[in-house]
Amino acid sequence: MPDTHFYRYDDFDRTLLAERVEQFRDQVRRRLSGELTEEQFKPLRLTNGLYLQLHAYMLRIAIPYGTLSTRQLRKLAEIARKYDRGYGHFTTRQNLQLNWIKLEDAPDAVAALAEVDMHAIQTSGNVIRNTTADHFAGAAADEIEDPRIWCEIIRQWSTLHPEFSFLPRKFKIAVTGSPNDRAAVRVHDVGLRLWRNPEGQVGFEVIVGGGLGRTPIIGKTLRAFLPKDELLAYLESVLRVYNRYGRRDNIYKARIKILVHEIGVEKMREEVEAEFASTKDSALRLDPRTIEAIAGQFAAPPLPHRPATVGAVEALKIEDRVFALWLKSNTAPHRMAGYRIVTASLKPAGAPPGDASSAQMEGVADIADAYSWGEVRVSHEQNLVLPHVAVEDLPAVYAALGRLGFAEANVGKITDIIACPGLDYCALANARSIPVAQRISNHFANLARQHDIGDLKVKISGCINACGHHHVGHIGILGVDKNGVELYQISLGGDVDFGHTALGEIIGPAVGADEIVEAVDALVATYLERRGEGERFVDTYRRIGAEPFKERVYAAV
Amino acid sequence: MAKNLSGDLTVASANRLSDGVVVFLDDSGHWTPKLERAALARDKRAGEILLERAKAEAFSVVDPFLVSVSEDDDGTLEPLSLREKIRVGGLTFDAIAAEAVRYA
Repeated sequence: MPDTHFYRYDDFDRTLLAERVEQFRDQVRRRLSGELTEEQFKPLRLTNGLYLQLHAYMLRIAIPYGTLSTRQLRKLAEIARKYDRGYGHFTTRQNLQLNWIKLEDAPDAVAALAEVDMHAIQTSGNVIRNTTADHFAGAAADEIEDPRIWCEIIRQWSTLHPEFSFLPRKFKIAVTGSPNDRAAVRVHDVGLRLWRNPEGQVGFEVIVGGGLGRTPIIGKTLRAFLPKDELLAYLESVLRVYNRYGRRDNIYKARIKILVHEIGVEKMREEVEAEFASTKDSALRLDPRTIEAIAGQFAAPPLPHRPATVGAVEALKIEDRVFALWLKSNTAPHRMAGYRIVTASLKPAGAPPGDASSAQMEGVADIADAYSWGEVRVSHEQNLVLPHVAVEDLPAVYAALGRLGFAEANVGKITDIIACPGLDYCALANARSIPVAQRISNHFANLARQHDIGDLKVKISGCINACGHHHVGHIGILGVDKNGVELYQISLGGDVDFGHTALGEIIGPAVGADEIVEAVDALVATYLERRGEGERFVDTYRRIGAEPFKERVYAAV
Repeated sequence: MAKNLSGDLTVASANRLSDGVVVFLDDSGHWTPKLERAALARDKRAGEILLERAKAEAFSVVDPFLVSVSEDDDGTLEPLSLREKIRVGGLTFDAIAAEAVRYA
């Protein structure tokens, strides 16, 4: 199936990538021959997304706004099989990480990526990183506008932007076009939320200075309503102010969130607006024809009318209770009646969260070609999404995903855990994440129990850098190292929903690796005993506070 | 029984330049993936000398550094820290295989 429903590279994009691949090939050649030292080479490889981790090089591949064609997904599977160990890890920034790439193969791997208009540029370094979006974009029933159009405009503006190639620190942007935040926009350097004002115009709420990591901060609204054609001029102004005043003397204080925190949002606004006064009428003001041309590339697929209620689906719901649970948790309302958005859970019981083998990636591509217009999305919650599935095809999609191990009916439940790679892979980590996630997943594997517990977001990070978003987990787990022993700090009440965005509060001393499952079990037991009608875990926590949870946990461990 | 848990025993480690594989400097100045072949420094001064040697032999590796190890009575070396144990032993869980489909 052709890539017809999202942005297609033009000659400019392809030439740029081809040149970049050859440049990187030469850099690798010079490093291997000894012409370049590691000190000289390291910034060059990082600019191309190539990290050196504990046991191997890791290639972080950008998946712009989490959207993949099946052709691209098959190529990722092929690259993983040919140049890696045949699997990849989908991340909380909608990227794919290949953990066992050889330096000598890296140029061929990025050349293969370029064949399908993909790359790993700007997935590292102090630059504007891959812009992320709502993974239901272009399909969600609650969407105001497709945020990917704006992500693509940001991608074109930010790719190799000369002024912003040496920022004080990395810079992450997320965009949502829905009132339900599925892109965690309040915990990004800049979050953009499309909304309709009382006059009926659609524009952006610009949120700045959010972030997790060592100093978690919820972003603040810099501009309540920004006309869409002023987006790039405004972003350029934000970046200029950050580039000028952001700290470069201390890596831990270099993110924009620290700048906003130190000078205050009012001063930040004043500075940005002053800069904006000189940029808003520049070439950065977006021409409606440009917007229209890019929007045209994201035109929705011509979905034919399909029945909204299907007898066979209704019958299967009664016959197969697990299918009924799957429909409830793993499918979401589509903007068009007769369709659903399907989430393929990359979290079967006991599996490393977010990992998929080459065979599984190819399997998802086959399903997407047959049932979802050749489109796949990557969610920041480390699952894959089929955005346009007809209701009458749901039983077939469920069965096909089941054959891949991706039909676990657990999306949004306690085993749909976000976990960073942790100490098993990562050179920065202090403790393991994946084995902890696996043990919690196995402990709560019973689907009926999971659905009884209801929506509960568990997020695990192996260090304070918080790639596993533990600060915004209903239950957040942070791995720490104390005198060579792995311990896990628990926080409660984190959330990314609009209106409820909150950072979790640490409940007490960290618990041992062999106690963490018991601790989570104690938290869940407390919730089940104390929950009110219709309350999720996080609602009960907000109502009764941390104390009852804390008492139960420390009595249990 | 493990000896020298104070961290005085060290070996020199790095990642191999061409593929990132974890390697150790042996007594003949070659880099080997096998910890049991690593040259062992038994005190701080010997460790400093070992690290200097490792840096001098770093053409084919990246960023050599010292790893604290323990030594059993039979001479078996084991890193002291979990990080280094994982570097030597690999993942602590089963990664999925290329052709794996979990429940098929």
